[in-house]
Amino acid sequence: MLAGGRSTRVAGAAARRVLGKIGGGLFVLWAVATAIFFGIRMIPGDPAEAIMGGPGSQASAEALAQARADYGLDAPLYVQYFSQLWRLATGDLGTSYSLKTPVAEVLGELVPPTLVLAVLALLVAWALALVVAVLSTRSGALGSALASGLEIVSAAVPHFWLASVLIMLFATALGWLPPVSTNAPAGLVLPVATLALPLAGFLGQVMRDTLETAHRSPFALSARARGESETGVLLRHSLRHAALPGIALSGWAFGSLLSGAVVVESIFARPGLGRSLLSAVSARDIPMVTGVALLSAGAYVVIMAFSDLAERLADPRMAAA
Amino acid sequence: MNNVRPLTRRLFPAAFGLAAALVLAGCAPATTAPESGNDAGTPVAGGTLVYASGDAEPSCLDPHVGGNYPQALVSSQYLETLYTKDAKGNLVPWLAEDSTVSQDGLTRTVEIRQGIKFTDGTALDAAAVKANFEHLLDPKTASSTGYLALGKIDSMKALDAATLELKLKSPDNSLLESFSMPWVAIESPTALKRSQEENCAAPVGTGPFKVESWKKQDAVNLVRNEDYVQPVATDGHEGAAYLEGITWRFIPEAATRYAALQAGEVQVIDNAQPDTIAAAAKSQGIKHLDAPRPGASNRIELNSSKAPFNDSKVREAFIHAVNVDAGIDSLFFGTAPRSHSPLSSVEPLAYSAETLFAYDPAKAGELLDAAGWTERDPEGYRTKDGERLSLVFPVSTSQSIPAEQSLFEQLQATAKESGIEIKINLLDLSSWYGELFKNDYNLVSAPYTKVGPSVLSILFHSDSTIPAPSGYFANLSQVKDPALDELLDAAGSTADEAERKDKYAQAQKLVLEGHYLLPLYDQQNHFLYSEKLRNVGATTAVATPTFFDTWLAK
Amino acid sequence: MSIDKRELTPGDPVLAQHTARRPAPGTRGLRAVAARLPLLLSAAVLAFFVLAALLPNVLAPFDPLAINPADAFSPPGAAHLLGTDESGRDIYSRIIHGSRPSLLIGAAATAIGLGLALLLGTIAGFGGKWLDFGVGRILEVLFALPGLLLALVFIALAGPGVGTTVVAVGLTTAPGYARMIRAQIIALRTSPMVEAATVLGRSRAKILATHILPNALAPIAVLGTLGLGQAVVWAASLSFLGLGSPPPAPEWGAMLSAGRTYLALAWWMTFFPGLAIVLVAAASTVLSRALKTAGAR
Repeated sequence: MLAGGRSTRVAGAAARRVLGKIGGGLFVLWAVATAIFFGIRMIPGDPAEAIMGGPGSQASAEALAQARADYGLDAPLYVQYFSQLWRLATGDLGTSYSLKTPVAEVLGELVPPTLVLAVLALLVAWALALVVAVLSTRSGALGSALASGLEIVSAAVPHFWLASVLIMLFATALGWLPPVSTNAPAGLVLPVATLALPLAGFLGQVMRDTLETAHRSPFALSARARGESETGVLLRHSLRHAALPGIALSGWAFGSLLSGAVVVESIFARPGLGRSLLSAVSARDIPMVTGVALLSAGAYVVIMAFSDLAERLADPRMAAA
Repeated sequence: MNNVRPLTRRLFPAAFGLAAALVLAGCAPATTAPESGNDAGTPVAGGTLVYASGDAEPSCLDPHVGGNYPQALVSSQYLETLYTKDAKGNLVPWLAEDSTVSQDGLTRTVEIRQGIKFTDGTALDAAAVKANFEHLLDPKTASSTGYLALGKIDSMKALDAATLELKLKSPDNSLLESFSMPWVAIESPTALKRSQEENCAAPVGTGPFKVESWKKQDAVNLVRNEDYVQPVATDGHEGAAYLEGITWRFIPEAATRYAALQAGEVQVIDNAQPDTIAAAAKSQGIKHLDAPRPGASNRIELNSSKAPFNDSKVREAFIHAVNVDAGIDSLFFGTAPRSHSPLSSVEPLAYSAETLFAYDPAKAGELLDAAGWTERDPEGYRTKDGERLSLVFPVSTSQSIPAEQSLFEQLQATAKESGIEIKINLLDLSSWYGELFKNDYNLVSAPYTKVGPSVLSILFHSDSTIPAPSGYFANLSQVKDPALDELLDAAGSTADEAERKDKYAQAQKLVLEGHYLLPLYDQQNHFLYSEKLRNVGATTAVATPTFFDTWLAK
Repeated sequence: MSIDKRELTPGDPVLAQHTARRPAPGTRGLRAVAARLPLLLSAAVLAFFVLAALLPNVLAPFDPLAINPADAFSPPGAAHLLGTDESGRDIYSRIIHGSRPSLLIGAAATAIGLGLALLLGTIAGFGGKWLDFGVGRILEVLFALPGLLLALVFIALAGPGVGTTVVAVGLTTAPGYARMIRAQIIALRTSPMVEAATVLGRSRAKILATHILPNALAPIAVLGTLGLGQAVVWAASLSFLGLGSPPPAPEWGAMLSAGRTYLALAWWMTFFPGLAIVLVAAASTVLSRALKTAGAR
């Protein structure tokens, strides 16, 4: 694994690896598009109804026929499927049934707020997990047990319950923070905290375990023997090890943040992907659901590739693997 | 493993920098504060009102398309109607000047007020109104509520700039009431020629505000129409509205919405829940506006098309077996008076029959015994021929507020004491309609808002049991009674006001005494608002608030 | 019986609980008790709720369905330990009676998730290169879809209800387990024990049945304990979105969902059912970690 003289071999392997990643990513996107296409069509109800404003509307038979023709729903299913794939391949996500606006345009409006929320939550969670891990490693068994309990409990807290408790506490009782999301930074505090705390619990458990193991490991001992300070050992050696599983988990974490965003965006009345996903599924808005699913799958693929890369950077042992 | 320096040092500054940039990009300048003096009672101009709606965000801001209450709420700020209701509840002309109908009731002439301009500069005239009606009747518009309201119109003609002549298929004495609904509001014909996508994003009307922008899932931004002139002078002021604009937000969670009002983030909330109304009454700084909707009352319909409710005795027994009053008292904190009518209490022609709806388990037991539900199963439910007396009750979580869902649970508990099982299924709107279309329900509660008693024809005429292509039908009790049809037809077409009143009363008596429905209360429509907001209370004919005279004190 | 960590790392949601920890040697007396306290507490919490699920009438002082409108919104106190809800029902009794449906939903969902995972994991881990590749791609796709999207679409497809919730939660948790089980099986397959059996000429099916599955099942107990808590949280989240148990069942998620409307008036309606969920989820995490440690010893 640690063999030297390997530049060409490594370059070839790297190229194969990159190609493999791209191919795998494309496969995932195709499979997601296919699964959503057939899955959502099995939901009872006529897509033409969804276009005409849902089952409560009293659209005439002609209007429904018109809608079917406009959206290409009168063609056989396999024709619809392949034309859908073709459109997706050319970057056309179609037009939302309920909003009558191009899906790409709607997503363009909704991605930034969700991204801000998710990225901030991920960073806050990372920071919290690291701080707790580092502090607890340095404060003995009791501190470690305390931190562990804290992490386990916060990882067990459901988002919607946490959101309610935070609103109750910080908005209604104390009046420190706005209960709804606003454009001001203060409006982001509660939504970000709601998403970040349970995630920090998950990340913290992994990080602290690895950190403690690394801190007792031979290389840490030898570093101490060389006269490095405790802090130096922690920052230079142990922390890097602790970051590994955390980085690996970030891809998963991002996906779970999207699920969490559905709840958080609804409660704090924030615009975003999560909320639109909920309304799109209940309105049977097939193009919107497909768009959101493809987008999040795409994000997952990209993040996995990056976390793979980050892992390699943080752990030289893996560079040649 | 020393060739890479601490990852944290390289990654973190970049990441934090990115986050900070994102936060900054999300910042917008704060809304403008009111400008000048604040004598207790002297209105000041300026300021932006933030309104928080608990309803689903409309997919189209033009209430012609589809036509539901959330659309009516927001469009009442920028669209106006031909007729409206004054403060006393009388139907009065607004964008129309007057209207007359021929002797045979088949030709209606509408005089359109002159000198009014839409906010895009187009003038209001008979041709503009004609274009609106044509837009509503065009299948491509996919109008539901407005389409139904204009259904009797056969053809129309603009005789001159001020006169529109409508030929009707049959006499319709509710047409002027229909004209007062936001779903039949008048928009600029120039704007209507745009694509539906454009028109949905920013409909153009004659109202005191106009749509400036709509950021999906965030807010509809309305700005003052500086050239606004009220078609008819009212007690309030003249000229443009006091408020500079309205930010129309959507906050689906009731608790968050109320917390936002308390925190001063918003100044008005709708769909206020009973417990928060009670809490607000005790707190300083928050006021309450109660505006029951016209049309039908909130009621539970008993599906008479299939067992066990095809037996009138079982329907009557159910009505006596459930304790509605105790539930309303505990859950609605005095905000919802009990109704005993199919019509809203704001409808002058509503007929009530309180004696029919007493909670009387003994009588329910007798009736069920008489109907043959005499056996009991191990769980205590009544049975007949081995079948349990079980009722399916699909409940739409978007149409029934939480207090109402709790009320249904309490009815479920009291019905159990009489041996009746109620199965409540909480469903989203699409699935809920699905159950109704499959006739897979015994009980159902569905609101229906319309101006005037003609809503009775929609809800109880046998024609309304025939489903639309979507499967939709409005007659959910599925009453089919030729005598009732005759009464409703006569009431809807007579030119004689006294006869109209009499026939509608008879029709209501018939459905109530036939035990087809269990009235609960008026359609609840409560608003809470900050006391900084003055002159709140004006509403349209469908009880949506308007903010022309409203001003924001410092 | 250690799990190859490298196989697990990419995006494994349950990895968190699987880095085995042993108490540092030499902890004695008070410290030993303190170290065991979380485990003891967790065991007590789970025992309590399991008892509540089995014998609710022993623990609950009131009928969980009996309404008493006059007594609505009573705060926690002597008459009602944890207060009453909007219909005057005793919250404590409802939480006790809610243990059975809530835990059953969690257990059934976990069973479905694990069952599916076992199938996929075994195919991938023992079925050869191509099957492994295929299953790997399927798992990747399932991972790429946000769990809630999967659940929402499935519920829209099958209609809301307890059964649907169970399957939906099972489906969303399966890929995580499958990845774990696959790794476990691959680790076992290359173990000296299995290699010896192969050399001795045992059939693949026999090796699978006698060596691999029994050894792979032990970590499943760990996963199951952990998954129970997570599934309870998932099911509650679906209930929150209005897609759970029908009323008046005192299922915890449904109670929370009903209570949140009355947050300003009656915080106890939201707080205590939520606490029950958090307690169960946290306790099952602690317990699964302890099981894991015991297994590793």
